[in-house]
Amino acid sequence: MKRHLPESELARDERFRRNKIEDQIFDPRNVALADRDLGPAQMSVDRPAVAERSRSLMHGIFVGEIQALEGAGRTCFDFDETEAPFALKLDMARQCWDESRHVEISCKLAEHMGSDIGEYGESTFLYAAACNPDPVMRLCGVNRALEGLAIDVFSSMKAFGESTQDPVLTFCEDWMLADEVTHVKMGSDWLRRLTEHDLDRRERALDFQRTVDKVFSLGGFRGESEENPIQITRRFRELAGFSNEECDELAQIAEQAAADARQMVALAHASQS
Amino acid sequence: MSTARAPFAPWDRRELPGVFGVEESARRIGNYRWTEMRLFEALGGWVATIPELDVKMVLGRHCYHHAWHAELWTKRLPELREMNVDRMTVPAGPEFEAFMAAVTEPEAPELTIEKLVGVYRVLIPRMIAAYTFHLNGTSTITDAPTIRSLKFALQDEHEDWRDGEMLLQSLLDTPENVERAARRQSDVERLVTVAGGITGPGSIGVQPVPEEATV
Repeated sequence: MKRHLPESELARDERFRRNKIEDQIFDPRNVALADRDLGPAQMSVDRPAVAERSRSLMHGIFVGEIQALEGAGRTCFDFDETEAPFALKLDMARQCWDESRHVEISCKLAEHMGSDIGEYGESTFLYAAACNPDPVMRLCGVNRALEGLAIDVFSSMKAFGESTQDPVLTFCEDWMLADEVTHVKMGSDWLRRLTEHDLDRRERALDFQRTVDKVFSLGGFRGESEENPIQITRRFRELAGFSNEECDELAQIAEQAAADARQMVALAHASQS
Repeated sequence: MSTARAPFAPWDRRELPGVFGVEESARRIGNYRWTEMRLFEALGGWVATIPELDVKMVLGRHCYHHAWHAELWTKRLPELREMNVDRMTVPAGPEFEAFMAAVTEPEAPELTIEKLVGVYRVLIPRMIAAYTFHLNGTSTITDAPTIRSLKFALQDEHEDWRDGEMLLQSLLDTPENVERAARRQSDVERLVTVAGGITGPGSIGVQPVPEEATV
């Protein structure tokens, strides 16, 4: 078996349909959608099409968990003990089990919400963060950026479950949230340990994380304003080893990602008129 | 009233003698650790290459079980006078290393049956056998910490074997697939027979001599 599996080779059954994230972001229909003024973008019961949006998001969580499982699994295999110590790989194996449970949970939750496997497309940009050949970069991409996004998403979904008085959704999201805080903390701890004597490498890894965090902010999907459906969850991020300054920086990165997306929409407007 | 009692209660039938000394127990545990490590790494790597969702999730769970067993052996080895854990973490011999390379070789997404047969019909039964032999043969008093770890590991191995076997039975839906599974089992079984099992010849006390090994 070869080391370092590219995202194009992720194995799926025939129900799954692969999307490119660029196609979603540059979809020309986004221009018309952006023109609508529907008020705050956060998911709430009075929001139009909230049932459809929550099902779509749950399917996104489901495929994201599959990719997180695959990413953690590959870290167990792709590196020998000179590159990644046994204790780190043990943590990644534990994460495999956790992500397996999350796939099970999100699969059942999707069914609970009236959706089904393959109802929506899958883009594999989350797994792409797990393709970095440097284990420290990969840790930052997966455990701090991807799993950090999971903290924000689960926290927002839990709030949505509470607002819709859905005890099943609230219960499950809270359990998954606890696991994700553990995974982000693992990433924070290992980043510190592995780069203790190489601060340049630590800075390069944090730079990589900033790049991934910008991609994962999805042009305004995540942030701290009413415009953002998914809210940055400072309390849980701090539990997972993020400093207040790192949370501030993430909020700025998310704002920049939203500004870039608005600029793209404006350019698309200009080219259509 | 006297509080003097027999040191062992009537129902405590543990005995001092065991078939393994400290060195032999450590040697076997080093082989277990090496095998568990290669197995959890391979299961983790395979997750992304397997299209069947149920198999993918089960392998994600089992990956941790084997990593945790490796951790149990990591902690036990220094207690057996072997402070350098890595020095003892070796395959039982080149033949066993070749067997593990064959078990973990399949990669393509259409090879799920080959992946599962190697692990769940050959390797894990061999691990259950080696662990059981160690459990039954070692001193129940002097080597009690190893016994405790063996029992934890064996509980997982039995449950994981059952999971894997049931997944396989659900995949063997045509005569061709049954044939594939049998062929694969025969290929890897032959290799492990030559290797003598997880800890080499004598893994379970007796050593059958395969014909090709005597040529």
